[in-house]
Amino acid sequence: MRTIFLLFIPFFLSSDLVLEITRGAEKQIKLGIIQTDFTELDATQIIDVIKNDLERTGEFILIPSTEMLSIPTSPDSVIHRDWLLLDADAIIFLTTEKLDKSIDIAYSIYDIRAEKIVLKKKIYGVPDGLRQSSHYVSDGIYKHYYGIEGVSSTKLMYVAKNDDIYRLIVSDADGFNEQTLLKSTQSIISPAWSPDAKDVAYVSFENNRAQVFTQNLETGTRKLILSSKFSVSAPAWSPDRKYIAFTSTMDGNSEIYIINLDTKKIERLTENSAIDTEPAWSTDGKKIIFTSDRSGSPQIYELDLRTKLKRRITTEGSYNARGSFIDKNNIIFIHRNSTNFNIATFNLQTRQLQVLTNTEFDESPCIAPNGNVIIYATKEQGYSMLAGVNISSNVGFKLPALYGELKEPAWSPFLR
Amino acid sequence: MKKNLILIFSLLFIFSCSSVSVETVEDQKTKTVDITESSSRSFAVGESLDLGEPSVRIYFDYDEDQLKESSLSDLLGMSRIMRDNPTYTLMVEGHADERGSREYNLALSERRANAVKDFLSSSGVSPFNIEVVGYGEERPVELGSNEESWSKNRRAELFLLK
Repeated sequence: MRTIFLLFIPFFLSSDLVLEITRGAEKQIKLGIIQTDFTELDATQIIDVIKNDLERTGEFILIPSTEMLSIPTSPDSVIHRDWLLLDADAIIFLTTEKLDKSIDIAYSIYDIRAEKIVLKKKIYGVPDGLRQSSHYVSDGIYKHYYGIEGVSSTKLMYVAKNDDIYRLIVSDADGFNEQTLLKSTQSIISPAWSPDAKDVAYVSFENNRAQVFTQNLETGTRKLILSSKFSVSAPAWSPDRKYIAFTSTMDGNSEIYIINLDTKKIERLTENSAIDTEPAWSTDGKKIIFTSDRSGSPQIYELDLRTKLKRRITTEGSYNARGSFIDKNNIIFIHRNSTNFNIATFNLQTRQLQVLTNTEFDESPCIAPNGNVIIYATKEQGYSMLAGVNISSNVGFKLPALYGELKEPAWSPFLR
Repeated sequence: MKKNLILIFSLLFIFSCSSVSVETVEDQKTKTVDITESSSRSFAVGESLDLGEPSVRIYFDYDEDQLKESSLSDLLGMSRIMRDNPTYTLMVEGHADERGSREYNLALSERRANAVKDFLSSSGVSPFNIEVVGYGEERPVELGSNEESWSKNRRAELFLLK
């Protein structure tokens, strides 16, 4: 394990994703992290991962060890005045336990004002899973303070374009462990995760038309979901994993279909001379929302899979497209009101529309599995990059590519 | 044929070797499918490379698939060529500008290509000799984020295959 640590490369050097906070939270939680055991294991790497995870939410400030006035070895030896002077909210005490092939991390949150431990947890490590275990600690701390699951332990998928080469990439949420799933000279769009995060689906133009492939992350095995001389695109996995909804022009016009992945049986869901595309499942799998320009401009519609009844959802704005569900009652989509294309949410019950971004060309919105962080593609100085918004804290961030362009983000489900 | 292609692609897997891959087991498990290699390039890039410059470009307004009056003479000219040469095939590629959703643009670009096909077939060209494909916003001719570039990218390209 020791030798492996020596191979570590400073943060982000090998990553395409460099996060910049563009708008901070109003109130940030201030924490110090302290390793309390003195085993042979140096927990600096673990602390660095946690620090980075928490700071990139924009909702935490971590106190550097050089600024700590005293370093307690246990909760009993905390000199409260030293921490109150720093305006610290809590100290995170970390203890690591090195086992044969893995490392367990125990952590506790010591609240400075309450003068007691308010949370105590242990993450059981798996072989070579130290970064992931560290992300679980971050997510536990995040949940303690905000009551929402953290997403540091999840993954991101996106398309990177450099020198006319497209790469479909999966990385940890912090940009580490970048894996190229597909490298192509032709465009790759609309990546989507299977609900168990074991497979992905995407549109590849490698055969000179849009085709939907699924690819297993572990084996790399690719399958064409449907062989057709017409375009097949916009894949979306049903929550039960049995179906993929997609768009095809196989009947002469863009219509929405679902395919049963086992039986390959196809069912057509729309029948209309207008464009129908971008199907997205509701969380319970009973409804699909989609984009249609049957009214003259693209708008979001809802389809009840049992009754087959369709109704229009969006009425505000000249362009509403690429919708997906945040939760049972809220959807997110691209919204154009005057000139800009922005990301907006809409509450299906209150019918309230809220615009979340203010740049010019925002597209491909995607929600993190905790329902609280949105990632989308935008343009800055002619280059496409990723950006995001934290809904509850209103923290904004961007993830520019170190070189080239980034687009089409897709956040993984929870991996636990 | 398609099945064979998939088979070929699945034989082209290479292990990824990221510089941080020492850290997790997952890294060694995830595989990269590389279809940029020369052996698969003929499939990956294929016909579009051989098509060369289009015979005709037809332009469209924002979020529109209606043909413009200014395209009429080009379309009628193409119609005459196709009617005079019933062995020719016409490939019509539809495109969109970069704004808005990629999937909606894909659908829109296909409608633009179909608008050209519908016009030509109603003018007497056999629809069986016309192939359409949509590329959405994926193959722009101009890269700028301004109306001048967008207006050139909202197009259908007609390629005569003799």
